[in-house]
Amino acid sequence: MLGFKLSAQRPPEPERVADGVVSRFEHVFEVEPALMTEHVRQQDIPNWDFQRIVDSRWEHLAWMHEHFADSVISGEELLAELEAEQPNP
Amino acid sequence: MAVALLDSVVDELTAICGPDHVFTGRSATFNRARVPAPFPVHKWDEHVPSAVVLPTSAHQVSEVVKMANRHRIPVVPRAGATGLTDGAVPLRHGIVVDVKLMNQILDLDHENRTVTVGPGINMLKLNEELRKHGYIYPDNPASYPCSLVGGRIGTSGWSLIGARYGHTRDLVISFEIVLPTGEIVRVGDGGGRTVRKSSSGYQLKHLFMGHQGTLGIVTEATLELVPRPEAEFSAFFAYGDYMDAWRATGDLARSGVATLAGVVLFDEWKLAYLRRDDEAYIPQPESIKGVIACASYGNADEVRIGAKRLLRIGNASGGVYLGDEISQGDWASRHDRYATPQHGRTRDGQVALMSWHCEDASIPYSELPAVREEWHAIAAKLRERFDMFDDWGMFAYTNGAFKPWGDYLTEIDIGIWETRWDEETWAAWVDAKRELARVSIEHGGSISACHGSCREGEVDLVPAELGGGFEVMKTIKRGLDPNNIMNPGKYLLDQAYEEA
Repeated sequence: MLGFKLSAQRPPEPERVADGVVSRFEHVFEVEPALMTEHVRQQDIPNWDFQRIVDSRWEHLAWMHEHFADSVISGEELLAELEAEQPNP
Repeated sequence: MAVALLDSVVDELTAICGPDHVFTGRSATFNRARVPAPFPVHKWDEHVPSAVVLPTSAHQVSEVVKMANRHRIPVVPRAGATGLTDGAVPLRHGIVVDVKLMNQILDLDHENRTVTVGPGINMLKLNEELRKHGYIYPDNPASYPCSLVGGRIGTSGWSLIGARYGHTRDLVISFEIVLPTGEIVRVGDGGGRTVRKSSSGYQLKHLFMGHQGTLGIVTEATLELVPRPEAEFSAFFAYGDYMDAWRATGDLARSGVATLAGVVLFDEWKLAYLRRDDEAYIPQPESIKGVIACASYGNADEVRIGAKRLLRIGNASGGVYLGDEISQGDWASRHDRYATPQHGRTRDGQVALMSWHCEDASIPYSELPAVREEWHAIAAKLRERFDMFDDWGMFAYTNGAFKPWGDYLTEIDIGIWETRWDEETWAAWVDAKRELARVSIEHGGSISACHGSCREGEVDLVPAELGGGFEVMKTIKRGLDPNNIMNPGKYLLDQAYEEA
């Protein structure tokens, strides 16, 4: 049976990563809470909801690629090929 | 308030469309008063239709239009209502003809590579069906998940991958339209439902493209089928200087790569906006002042070869490839801009709920840097006066179909805190729109590349842009719509009747 502990769902304290932006999880960014005090209030989001939003986002992007074409060609791979094709100095 | 129709008129509509397809209640009518374009919410009542009908056939549409002529009641067609101009917004109340129930695939012609559909079908849903057969209908606006074929014709829409596959006008082969007097006709390049090129008669398809509901209601369309792409490639390059990025945009657009589907130039205002809360741009250094995105589609071997050339051009022009995660992820999120309300900021940096609005001029490549400066100055002046507008930066997209190097869909995105509209702020906005349009025309451009130019403010300059062509428009309107039934008030076309 899955348990739910509120304390385990509290996200870590945010770190400031740029002007007006904080981060609690790697590569997941939030607007700095001080900027959301007058017209729009920031909400507390439990860890599982953070994860759900991030996962949903990736799922959406993967779906969109697949919707338009059978495969996606990697620029990084092509750049490596181009570099290998360069004549040795 | 909405002008109530006589009970006898509602009875006639019910007899035509059926009791389940006629609505006069607040929910049905108020929700069909606006589109995502900036809307005077303080004057919402002025745009509420008197009745909404959802017909299921061209015959029903025709009968509704004939009835409207008998009673001199305005008719406004509505498809997805995702346009950022006001085509689907009633200016004189009347009857909204919502085509969403006409969303069937009527014929799939494998031999001649066409699909015939109702105007209420959405491209994403259509492509889910076409995929089973190895096809795609590559009309790909930012509103791809929600716009409908009828509206694409009504606005003469623009596609993000139009450099490769063409735009709506290139992808719609022919269509059936109910004229303002109720006759049902089919228009194409010439005759023939599936004929792509004809020299027979006038090119009537193009006359009705972008009609904004002023010349009739599209009831069926025959569309191009394209082989589903084997491969997609997208690349994002960063530049330390906008002008370097602008020059590189031209290099990429002129590359002659056949699989190239589009090139997009982001300016530094756009990057500053994206750095607010976009995971792809927050980590980017402040030294980046311009970004280019390019994408290509087609057979895998052809896309690979073309992609290598694009990467070489990007590198040679001083661009830094931003990596696969951004290049692929950001391209895949290209339709997400209809849902950005929390990206707005007041002057003191506080988050405010703002609606997205984009100006969408066609600007010659050579003029992009100058237009950018003048447009941002207009936006800054507006923001300085009223803390409800926010400059969200500019994009410039390749605009020509198949030969994408000449002009660019040039877009300034402005966030608007719509609940703050009042007479003064609305008037200032309309003045700003007129100014933006003036700049476009002065630089040899056109007011709109994709949504139309019938919004308040900009529409005042349509006669200046079209010159004698606007007189022809008025003559056509008066000839086809003698009672000014179809979407009256749009495009200054009331002038046609005043002069008569």
